[in-house]
Amino acid sequence: MSAIPESPTPSASLDRRSFLKVSALAGGGLLIGTYFRWGGATALAEAVTATPVNFAPNVFISIAPDGAVSLIAPNSEMGQGAKTALPMILAEELDVSWDKVTISQADLNPAYGRQSAVGSGSTPGNYAPLRQAGATARAMLVAAAAETWSVPAGECTTANGTVIHAASTRRLPYGDLTARAAALPVPTSVTPKDPKDFKLLGTRVAGVDNEKIVTGQALYGIDQHQPGMVYAAFVKCPVFGGKVASVSLDDAKKFPGVKDAFVLDGIGGLTSGVAIIADSTWNAFYAASNLKVQWEEGEGVSQSSEDFAKQAQALATAAGGPTVPEGAKSLNATYHYPFLAHATLEPQNCTALFKDGLIEMWCPTQMPSSGQRLVTQGLGLPASKVVVHVTRLGGGFGRRGSNEFSLEAAAIAHRLEGTPVKLTWMREQDFQHDNYRSNGWHFFTGGVDGAGKVVALHDHFVKVQGQVGGMNGGGFPFNVMAGSRVESSQIPASIPTGYWRAPGDNGNVWAVQSFVDELAHAAGKDPLAFTLDLLAAVPAAPPPGAGGRGGGGRGGGFAASKMVAVLKLAAEKAGWGTPRPKGEGQGLAICNANGAYVAIIADVSVSPAGVLTIHKLTAAVDAGLIVNLSSAENQVQGSMLDGIGAAWFLKVTIDRGSVAQANFDDYALLGMANSPPVVDVHFVPSLAPPTGLGEPALPPAAPAVCNAIFAATGKRIRTLPFAGEDLKWS
Amino acid sequence: MSSYQLNVNGTVHTVDVTGNTPLLWVLRDTLGLVGTKYGCGIGECGACTVHLDGVAMKSCGTAIKDLGSAKVTTIEGLARDGRLTALQQAWCTLDVSQCGYCQGGQIMCATALLAAKPKPTDADIDKAMSDNLCRCATYTRIRQAIHAAAGA
Ligand code: FES
Ligand code: FES
Repeated sequence: MSAIPESPTPSASLDRRSFLKVSALAGGGLLIGTYFRWGGATALAEAVTATPVNFAPNVFISIAPDGAVSLIAPNSEMGQGAKTALPMILAEELDVSWDKVTISQADLNPAYGRQSAVGSGSTPGNYAPLRQAGATARAMLVAAAAETWSVPAGECTTANGTVIHAASTRRLPYGDLTARAAALPVPTSVTPKDPKDFKLLGTRVAGVDNEKIVTGQALYGIDQHQPGMVYAAFVKCPVFGGKVASVSLDDAKKFPGVKDAFVLDGIGGLTSGVAIIADSTWNAFYAASNLKVQWEEGEGVSQSSEDFAKQAQALATAAGGPTVPEGAKSLNATYHYPFLAHATLEPQNCTALFKDGLIEMWCPTQMPSSGQRLVTQGLGLPASKVVVHVTRLGGGFGRRGSNEFSLEAAAIAHRLEGTPVKLTWMREQDFQHDNYRSNGWHFFTGGVDGAGKVVALHDHFVKVQGQVGGMNGGGFPFNVMAGSRVESSQIPASIPTGYWRAPGDNGNVWAVQSFVDELAHAAGKDPLAFTLDLLAAVPAAPPPGAGGRGGGGRGGGFAASKMVAVLKLAAEKAGWGTPRPKGEGQGLAICNANGAYVAIIADVSVSPAGVLTIHKLTAAVDAGLIVNLSSAENQVQGSMLDGIGAAWFLKVTIDRGSVAQANFDDYALLGMANSPPVVDVHFVPSLAPPTGLGEPALPPAAPAVCNAIFAATGKRIRTLPFAGEDLKWS
Repeated sequence: MSSYQLNVNGTVHTVDVTGNTPLLWVLRDTLGLVGTKYGCGIGECGACTVHLDGVAMKSCGTAIKDLGSAKVTTIEGLARDGRLTALQQAWCTLDVSQCGYCQGGQIMCATALLAAKPKPTDADIDKAMSDNLCRCATYTRIRQAIHAAAGA
């Protein structure tokens, strides 16, 4: 129905400066381009590119004469639900029925602006521009109908893709108005709906690709196929920073199905390795696993997790501890969390073709622009000669914000000029060459006075060198409590670290919220009452220095009242405070991230033999207006379980400068059997613009469980993962 | 390279591949049936689950030379004449999927479970589904969808 191709090439005549542009389609449809700001200023986006957030066109609405509405999604779909949520916003403002809207995934193109699916930013960043686009289209359709009927536009209303003039009982479907509407001037200002009149937003809408997924038709990066395609594996040194010393390429070519083998080295941004080209993925993998390569391991080989722990302790000791006021009860505690891998279930991969001076890539990426930049720099091609097609992603979690796999595929394709090649990482390589969630240590000192008031709060935070994983303003209550202090140190290291779902919060909120629970018990107070007291002491205005996107969240200052509201809601829904026998317990934790406020309460039991069962999780969330209730709930449930699974079972250990874990047998993700049977999610009703939702419920889930374990057993968990911890009690 | 015959979703194919090639890669690379996913290659994730004569099996662990005459059903072969099974329908209605990468394997495993136990308990589900990992942790809804389909 649409005149817009699946992967549109925006016309050169498109005026990028105007906010909206309307034009008639060849078939008589109405095309509206909107220019929008990728507004969810995020850690990942900020760090990877320093260019300011700007306006650029990246969404196109087309309304066909049959009334069908089509939208291009600029952001990749990795399970966060953007491909459904974004057109819902449009359909709401357009006043069309949901079943008339279709959406397609955009390729990387500057015309679409920032196409990053990171930092929980897809929905908050697109909300206002999409409303504006929908409302503008609707206003023009109304104007076209009013003109047709010679009545004032103010007398017309809309519903279900139809303009209605109630006084004369006339109606015109949108499809009949597209030609006339396209000829009208674009209104300079339109008023979107009052959110309280929303009918579609806030309801449960099933994902637009559900049927494709359940029938095996949804195509991910790893499923791409090009005519004449060959299959590649790329073998790198397990030690970070190592390179190929020597390899017998003749031996490599003797493996079954291997067509070619070569060493890639000296390409900017690319880690040296051996490329193996075969007639199937399996044959490429088989040769890659059995090929003998001599590595030049380099200096990185001396690094180990064990040594990092010693260095962390030495740094903390050297820094010395703060003093707690005379007469106050003093608490010292060290918390540690390990490196984590992303382990997206779809391993990293990219399909590429180099032909006629142009690299074309089919890539599961969260940041196509960074992949393009890597390839242009590494291979010395202009950006116009590097085309990125964004595929569906089998999970992101921050992993696919970096794109070294794109450069590897492009470099291999460059050598194989004219032949398309699919590079797939073996799972083992995916574990060994990740950008890991950084490890971290917290050396806390706290003091409570005789009245149970916190009179000292200090943290020395240590992690390995790297930009990512720092404390977000310290997290609550460090971000708001006068006199509290966070110092930090970094251990010199060359372990590649990067963004992992809820960066900066995923481990630190566990540590801080666990220590707050310790303080509550030291003060002899109920943890809920204790946290509410801390919140009551927060000044209404954002405190000075609680800056950044920090514990104060990326949405600006920390609103204690919102946190109080979610905490009370969670407590009420979970039945907080009901007396429980030994071996059963409840724990709570809170988090403010990506502009959202989350409180989680966990109900657990621990058998005398020490076996943990999580019975129920209750989350209360203020994430502004909920666009799609179904996916919002799914995101919150999944991110809580993600946080708990990681804290319970997962760690990446560095030994001899490389990763000890290689596959899911030694990196055991949470499974069905350990998932709590009840995961309740309650959203605070809100008409405020939506915040991010893919991340903020992850950080507080693990501390809620650990605090519940303490309530049940009196055992405090200070090291992750806790699967090996002795939880026996009698 | 040798020649092998296999019956997938009711169609007989002849493929020329190395004999140690896992069924997973024959399906994906040779037959273009990419709904069966690669997640680990060592039988730990369940993304590659198919049915061999109706029994759920991990296709990454079955070499083509050992397949014999077993009839293979993949996620593409579940819906007949475009009609979703009750389980697939429940998966859509309850909006189970996030990234969706694991879900083909989850559905194949759950389909075999319901065939063996039409009204599974939570404990049955825990046991049968324990090898199917979901990195997005959609377990809450997977459980609901299995119960919903069992009640249908
Ligand atoms: S790919 Fe077969 S079980 Fe993971
Ligand atoms: S839905 Fe993403 S792995 Fe299961």
